[in-house]
Amino acid sequence: MTTLTYPLSRIEGHARVVIDIHDDEVFRADFQAMEMRGFSYYVQGVPAEQITVIVPRICGVCSTAHQVASVKALEDLFGVTPPPLADEIREVLLLGQLIQNQATSLFIFTMPDRVNASSLFEMGENPESKERQFSLAQMSLKIRKIGTDLITLAGGQFIHPIKTVIGGVTSSIPREKADSMIKTIEELLPVAVNLVDNYWQMSMEMVDRIGTWGDDEPTYYLTSTEANNFRLNSDRLRVMCEKGKECHIFAPQEYEKFINIESSDYSYAGVSDFQGHIMRANSLARINLTESFGTPIADAYLKRFGDAHGKPAHAILFFDLCRGIELVYALEKAKQMLETDLQNGETMVKYQPRDGIGFGLVEAPRGPLIHRYEVESGLIKNADFIIPTVHNMLAIRRALMVAAKRYVSADGINSELERAVGRVVRAFDPCIACATK
Amino acid sequence: MESKKELPKFAVLQLSGCSGCEVSLLNSDEWIKNFDLVYMPLVVSTHKIPEDVEVLLVSGGVRTDEDLHNLLKGASRSKKVIAVGTCALSGGVAQIGEGHISRETYLDSAHRLRLPSMLPRAYPIDKYVHVDLYLPGCPPTPELFITALTEAEDAKIASIVCQECGRKKLTDMRPTSISGRRSGTPDPEICLINQGYLCVGTSTRGGCGALCTRPGHACVGCRGPANPYLNKDPEFVLDNLRRVFTRMTDIPLEEINAELASPWLSLFLGQFTDYTQDQSLPQRTKEKMI
Ligand code: SF4
Ligand code: SF4
Ligand code: SF4
Repeated sequence: MTTLTYPLSRIEGHARVVIDIHDDEVFRADFQAMEMRGFSYYVQGVPAEQITVIVPRICGVCSTAHQVASVKALEDLFGVTPPPLADEIREVLLLGQLIQNQATSLFIFTMPDRVNASSLFEMGENPESKERQFSLAQMSLKIRKIGTDLITLAGGQFIHPIKTVIGGVTSSIPREKADSMIKTIEELLPVAVNLVDNYWQMSMEMVDRIGTWGDDEPTYYLTSTEANNFRLNSDRLRVMCEKGKECHIFAPQEYEKFINIESSDYSYAGVSDFQGHIMRANSLARINLTESFGTPIADAYLKRFGDAHGKPAHAILFFDLCRGIELVYALEKAKQMLETDLQNGETMVKYQPRDGIGFGLVEAPRGPLIHRYEVESGLIKNADFIIPTVHNMLAIRRALMVAAKRYVSADGINSELERAVGRVVRAFDPCIACATK
Repeated sequence: MESKKELPKFAVLQLSGCSGCEVSLLNSDEWIKNFDLVYMPLVVSTHKIPEDVEVLLVSGGVRTDEDLHNLLKGASRSKKVIAVGTCALSGGVAQIGEGHISRETYLDSAHRLRLPSMLPRAYPIDKYVHVDLYLPGCPPTPELFITALTEAEDAKIASIVCQECGRKKLTDMRPTSISGRRSGTPDPEICLINQGYLCVGTSTRGGCGALCTRPGHACVGCRGPANPYLNKDPEFVLDNLRRVFTRMTDIPLEEINAELASPWLSLFLGQFTDYTQDQSLPQRTKEKMI
C-alpha cells in the first residue's frame, strides 16, 4: 500500500490530505484537520452575556458570522427582538464579511492555482508579467479591503466585531461615513467586475488545460438564504435534494431532525450528513438555490452561469466561480443598503437575561452557521457550534476520491494529483479552526 | 524593479490561533514591497521555513507538539522573532476555562492517531524561544503591524486607550450597577464607565485607536496592560482598575471584583501574568513592546 500525504496551504488553518493507494487503485482519501480548538469545552461556565466577545475568536476569518450568530442565540434565549435598524446594520456587517472572504478565497487562495503559481505575489515570470501581477495583487487587496472597511463601519472592531450586541447594535452608521463608503464602492466596483471576469477567463483556460471542472455527482444543497431575497442575517434553512428540487425548509431549532453530526477518528474536524445523504453548503449551494439577487450585475452573472453550466450545477470548481458572483452581489447590495438611512432610529433595546435554550442562525461565507446555547444560572452550561465546513466534509472526501482516481492508474501517479488536491479543497474554502469538534 | 533577492526574507508562522492576526496583516499591503515573503502558508504554498530568515512573525500559542516543533525550527532559522497577538503572548483564548472541569474532558477527547497531540495547556512562545519584540492585540491593527515591521522608532503609540477614545469622563454620573449593556443605546459622548460599563481602557495599552469604545463597546483590554503595569504582579493591575471604578461609580465592590475576574477580561488582563508568576519566563520590558 502506498500512502500519499499532502500538507495544505492557502486555506484557513492546519489541514492535510491523505490518499491510500492499494494495488494501483485509490482506496481511501481523507481530509484531516490537524488542530483542535475545543470552544464548546472552553465556554462551559462562562457568563452567558460574555460569550459574544469570546466566540468570534473561534476563527478570525469568519469571526463576524460567529459574533452575530452568538448574539442572535442569546436574543432567542432572552426573548429579545432587536430594532429593524439593528437588523439592517447587521446585514451590512455580514456583507462586509462576505466581500472580505470571497475576495480572499478568489484572489489569495485560488487565483494562483489558475496559473500554477505558489502565491498571488509570485505569479509573474518576467518583468512585464511581474508588473502586471503586482497591480493585480494590489487591486485584489483593495477589493478585499472594502470588506474590512465595511466590517469596521458596521461592526466596530475590524476582525472581532463588537457593535452587534444583545438587543441590537451599539451605534448607527453616520450619513457622511456611509457616503464615503458608497464613493469607494462606486469607484472600485468596475475593478472588482474586471477581476472577476479575469478570474472567470483564467478558470476556463485552466479547465482547458486540465480537462475538467471537477465533475462530481449531485448532492443535497443547504443554505439559509432565500430564493429571491438573499439575506445573510437569515432565519430559516432551505434544502435542495439530489433531484434538484427544494425539499425541506426548517428553523434552526429543528436542525437535529435533519442534520446528524459526529466526530471522526481520522481528523479533529466533525463530519455531518443530511438524513444519511451527502450535502454541500457554501457558494455553489447558495447559487443553486437562488433565483434572483435583485442587483443588476450579479443577476447578469447568475444568468451567465446558469446558461453556461445549467442549474443546479454540481462540478467542484463552480464553487469558485460562484464566489465571484457573490462578491459582486455583496458590493452592489452594500451600496444599496448604505444609500438608505442607517443613521436615525433606535439601535438597541433594553433586555433582561434569563435561563433557557437559544438558537442563532446566520449565513456565513461557508454556509448556514448555528449557535445553540443552554444557559443555567446565567452561565453557559452547554454550547454547540453547528459549522458549515462540517457539512461539506463528506462532499470534500468524495471529491478528493474523484480527483485521486483521475490521476492514479497502473501507469503511476500523475504529478497533477498534488495540484488537483489543492484545487478541490480550496474550492470548498474550508475553515479548519471552526470545523474542529 | 528591485530584485527580489535583495529584500530581507520575511516569514509568518501560525501556531494555534484563529488566523485573525494574519487576516489583519493582509489588510495592509505596505510590507509587500519591503520584504521577500518566503513563508506564510495562508498565502504562499510553501511548507518549509527556509534558512536565513530576517524577520519571523509568530502568531498563535503553543498548543500541540507540532506547534512546538515548528516554533523551535522557525526561530532557529531566523534572526529576529516578533510575537504577535494575545495567543502568542499567553496562549490566548485557548486558556479560557483553564481550571474548569470541562478542561479534562476536552484534553481526553483530543487524541487522534497520527495527528498532533495537545500539550497540557497552551503556552506563550517565549517559554521556548527568545522573542525580540512583542506586539499585543487580538489582533493588532494593520498599522501596528507596520510599526513593528519597520521598527519605526518615532512611532507614537498612545499610552492608554482612553487617550484615543474621546469620550468624556463625568464626575456627576455615578452608576450603581454594571448594567450598561442591558440599558439600550449608549450615549456616544460620555465615558462608558459613567454609563455602567466596566471599561478597562484606563489601564490598557493604546495604539488600537480605541476601536471598541468609540462605537460603544467597553474595552476588554486586548492590547494588554499599559507600560506602568508591565512586570508587575497581576494584582497591581487589578488594584488600579478597582481604584478607577470605585472613584467613578457607586457599584458595590463585590460586583466589580466578580467582573474583573470574569473570562472576557481575564483572557486579556491575564495575558501578561504568566511571566510574572513563572520565574522561568523572560522579562517583557517596555522597550520590547509595540
Ligand atoms: S491573538 Fe486574537 S486575533 Fe490573533 S490569533 Fe489569537 S485569537 Fe486570533
Ligand atoms: S470609555 Fe473606556 S476608553 Fe473611553 S474614556 Fe471611558 S474608560 Fe477610557
Ligand atoms: S479598545 Fe480595547 S479591546 Fe478594543 S481593540 Fe482597543 S485594546 Fe483591544
